[in-house]
Amino acid sequence: MAPILELVDVHKMFGDFVALERINLEIHDGEFVTIVGPSGSGKTTLIRMLVGMDQPTTGNILLRGERINEIHANQRPTCMVFQSLALFPHRSVGENIEFPLKIRAVPKASRRARAMELLKQLHLPESFYHKGIHQCSGGERQRVALARALAFDPEILFFDEPLSALDYRLRKTLEKELKAIQRSTGKTFVYITHSIEEAMVMSDRIAILRSGRMVQVGTPDEIYHRPRDAFVAQFMGEINRFSVQKASDGTLTDTDTGVRYQAPTRVADADGTALMIRPEQIRLLPEGEHMDNVLSGVLTQSYSLGSRTQYQVSVDGRTVLVELLGRANAGVGDAVRIGWPADSAMLLKA
Amino acid sequence: MPHAPFSRRRFLQSAAALATGVALSPASMVSAQASRAGELNLLVWEGYNSPNVLDPFRREFSARVSASTVISDPDAVNRLRAGETRVWDIINLNNPWARQHMHPEGLIVPLDQERFRGYYDEMLPEFQWPHEWSMSLDGEHLVGLPQRFGPFSFVVNTDKVSRATAEDQGFNVFMDPSMKGKYGILTWSDWNIFHMCLTAGFTPFRKHTPEEMEEFRKVAEYLFQNARLLSDDHLQMNQALITGTIDAYFTGGTYTASVARYEGFDNIRAITPNSGPIDGKGGIVWIEITSLVNNPNPTPLATSFLEYIMRPDVSYEVAMADGSYNPVAQMGTPSVMEKFSAKDLDAIQFDSLEEELSRCVPFQINPDYAEMLEIYTAARRTR
Amino acid sequence: MRAWLLSLRSRLSSMFPDPVAPDVSPPPLATRLWQRAPGPLLAMPVLVLLLVGFLAPLILVVTYSFMPPHTFSLTQAPTLDNYRNVFSSTYYVSFGWSVLLAALTTVLLLLVSWPIAYGLTRSFSKPMVLTLLLVLPLFISENVRLFGWVLTLSNHGVLDGTARALFDVELPMPLYNIPIVLFGMAFIFLPFMLFPMALGISMIPESCREAAYDLGATRLQVLREVEIPLAMPGIAIGSLLTFVLALGSISEAKLLGGQSIIMIAHEIETAFTYAQNWPLGAALATLLILLTAAMVIALLARLDMERLLGRGR
Repeated sequence: MAPILELVDVHKMFGDFVALERINLEIHDGEFVTIVGPSGSGKTTLIRMLVGMDQPTTGNILLRGERINEIHANQRPTCMVFQSLALFPHRSVGENIEFPLKIRAVPKASRRARAMELLKQLHLPESFYHKGIHQCSGGERQRVALARALAFDPEILFFDEPLSALDYRLRKTLEKELKAIQRSTGKTFVYITHSIEEAMVMSDRIAILRSGRMVQVGTPDEIYHRPRDAFVAQFMGEINRFSVQKASDGTLTDTDTGVRYQAPTRVADADGTALMIRPEQIRLLPEGEHMDNVLSGVLTQSYSLGSRTQYQVSVDGRTVLVELLGRANAGVGDAVRIGWPADSAMLLKA
Repeated sequence: MPHAPFSRRRFLQSAAALATGVALSPASMVSAQASRAGELNLLVWEGYNSPNVLDPFRREFSARVSASTVISDPDAVNRLRAGETRVWDIINLNNPWARQHMHPEGLIVPLDQERFRGYYDEMLPEFQWPHEWSMSLDGEHLVGLPQRFGPFSFVVNTDKVSRATAEDQGFNVFMDPSMKGKYGILTWSDWNIFHMCLTAGFTPFRKHTPEEMEEFRKVAEYLFQNARLLSDDHLQMNQALITGTIDAYFTGGTYTASVARYEGFDNIRAITPNSGPIDGKGGIVWIEITSLVNNPNPTPLATSFLEYIMRPDVSYEVAMADGSYNPVAQMGTPSVMEKFSAKDLDAIQFDSLEEELSRCVPFQINPDYAEMLEIYTAARRTR
Repeated sequence: MRAWLLSLRSRLSSMFPDPVAPDVSPPPLATRLWQRAPGPLLAMPVLVLLLVGFLAPLILVVTYSFMPPHTFSLTQAPTLDNYRNVFSSTYYVSFGWSVLLAALTTVLLLLVSWPIAYGLTRSFSKPMVLTLLLVLPLFISENVRLFGWVLTLSNHGVLDGTARALFDVELPMPLYNIPIVLFGMAFIFLPFMLFPMALGISMIPESCREAAYDLGATRLQVLREVEIPLAMPGIAIGSLLTFVLALGSISEAKLLGGQSIIMIAHEIETAFTYAQNWPLGAALATLLILLTAAMVIALLARLDMERLLGRGR
């Protein structure tokens, strides 16, 4: 099936500064795609071009195969939920939701009916219709903003980190609701965020942006388990990283300490210089147990993560993170041995 | 002196005087009484407040002089009546007010005749002792000193209306259908009202019959309806005259025309009609009288100031003050006269002054002023 | 408006709380007052100053308007003569011109100021330069600025003189008529509309504008649905300022208009000065104040400042 939205070599310059470098991305009908990147990675620039508030310097943006680079936001069949939500403070909830319909001169009665429908769909009571925006809580405003965008009935709905200002619990709830709404409406959602967690929960596919470059696109599982490079691996969550050099016998030598590691058999990048192991892949070894890779150190800190515990182990003056289900027998200050099977590590490009 | 133009500031000042006159002046009076030494307060027509006149006095007498500009004679008199005799030391108004109102009402005090009589010897023949407007009604007291004066009727551009025609026709010039839309009115109400009476064919200086009031109304309405522009600023009137926007303006004299003449516009000329309804005369002359306010806490500086303005050099400065140039009574003395350049004399039309004065009667009070002003403002409003 | 009054009432009642049951040994009255309502006590000096400086002159003017004509004392038996005089003569003409011209000035300035204010807050690269150019003339007296226009526009003035010298054509003189009075008023009162309006425009969140576009609105719809309503506090304040100031204007009709019309402020001036009829002037002033207040209140009630400022509805 042809993609609904396609970015072909999209390049954006601000003066001499390259904001986005040859971005290629295909988004399919009904997909929930999240573009993730740290601040300054070019997410906002990208989404402004996607909704039509800015234009690429070179390259093309295609909507159902048609070039839309120069088409202004108000001519595009897409719309966005803003980071600030951009609700109209001088209008009631109902008027906000009806705004895109009023613009299209939809008769008042059908406007109102649609607004009521959307209120219901977003779990807002009908009485909210007459409420002022300033009387709504943060979560309620999110729902109103989403309702307004849905009233527009866009082909693609863009989101510019709308949940970032909310507290953790509310965010979690809304993430799931958003996903449910995407499912039930069957619309294409393109979501922008700096939070990989948010991306993991909601997305069908994730695109990772770094310094204006698209470094990896894939399902959450793919990206988590097969990050393309050290940056993606680190971005996906806490991870231990050792700088290594490949020795002639195939083993890896730690460039800082000279320790030798056994290399994983399946290597994504043969020239990789970063050996990366997630904390949960490392174990505290009881006396006598052996593993492919073993290090000795001193346990310096422990943090409870509820069902799991994270430990900091100081090895040759370097901190290694270890995460266990439950608790270890060792305590802070104890000498410990840690180890991991060679294949649970990843050898990646730095 | 006739009316100077109002600025908004002055209007606000008078409005503020209304507010503070009741609320705050007792306080300022107390402080005034506490230390009057070296202080002198003047309530005077524009010209006497000129730095050229006041600064040398301030230096010579180490005096703190403050001057407030009069905006109309009755306004100034009413301020004294309202109790401001405690504020002012010197008042300078047109000729009738001192002898007919302020002296009988005890608002001013007579001057020492021995001390001031000598100054009259140095004045022009018209002002020789006993000068009518300087003396009280019974002729016993000296109520003030004359200085600036001038004929005041109307002003024309002699390129458009010849001096001879204007003098022959007098105010009828403005009633000529060919003048419709070609003249302006300098809206100094009291003078306008005098001149409208003269235009209607009767003297303004007595009670009027209902028929005369009706005639006055017709003249006022006609003049306002056919005027090209109205302004209370004589500089704007001169400018309109010079640029050809108008050919003449109703109400004006040497006081208003002199500035333009001094700038070299000799075709701007103040006109005194050859004849008119006041015992055959058709012109009016104003004479400013400077008097001593009946201040309960007087300052000796007040008398010194009167002597000071009589000095030849100061007389010249008063005559040629900013904004308006005028003849002064002191021009009877050679030492004053020689200060005037040919240009100065031409500006104040000195060559024809004597002749014009002979066709003038002095400014007097119009008993129907209030009623005529109502007719006048209504005519102006609905033009 | 009503909500505002309610909130004012609740604020007032919190300033003066209901008396509570007295203690066994109540502290001295002054101490109790100080403890219970330090705000009003501290506000007293300013309140007194406002009363004396603001209310007293107003009361004075109103009182004068009931005194017999041509008198100067405040202690006589009150009379309605001045009001009778005003209503039986043609003063309505001057009131009418003042209201009409003030309204026209406000409308004209609304149209003229919007693009300038918009550019000032959003487009111009050097808004400070323009702001300075607009503000500097305020340091010059209004009369001087207006007379500058007289010199520019008059026969053989700057414009006509230049045209004659360079092209040998005579320009018509646009002075001494009613349109030039309107022009003069718009010229003088421009900053009073422009700056509040610019402030109003600067208060429009950029994201609201973008969101409206994103939801399909055209330029005109964004203006009507988003920009104007959101800038309304500034627009309303600018309009009020302009209207009230223009209602009291005097010099434009005098200098540029050659008194082709007589504004009501001019009549008041005449009554206070040449006519020496303070009570008549006070009656006219009182009526003007009432007229202004009525129009301002009507406008405020319609606009509903609370809603404009987005604080509930």
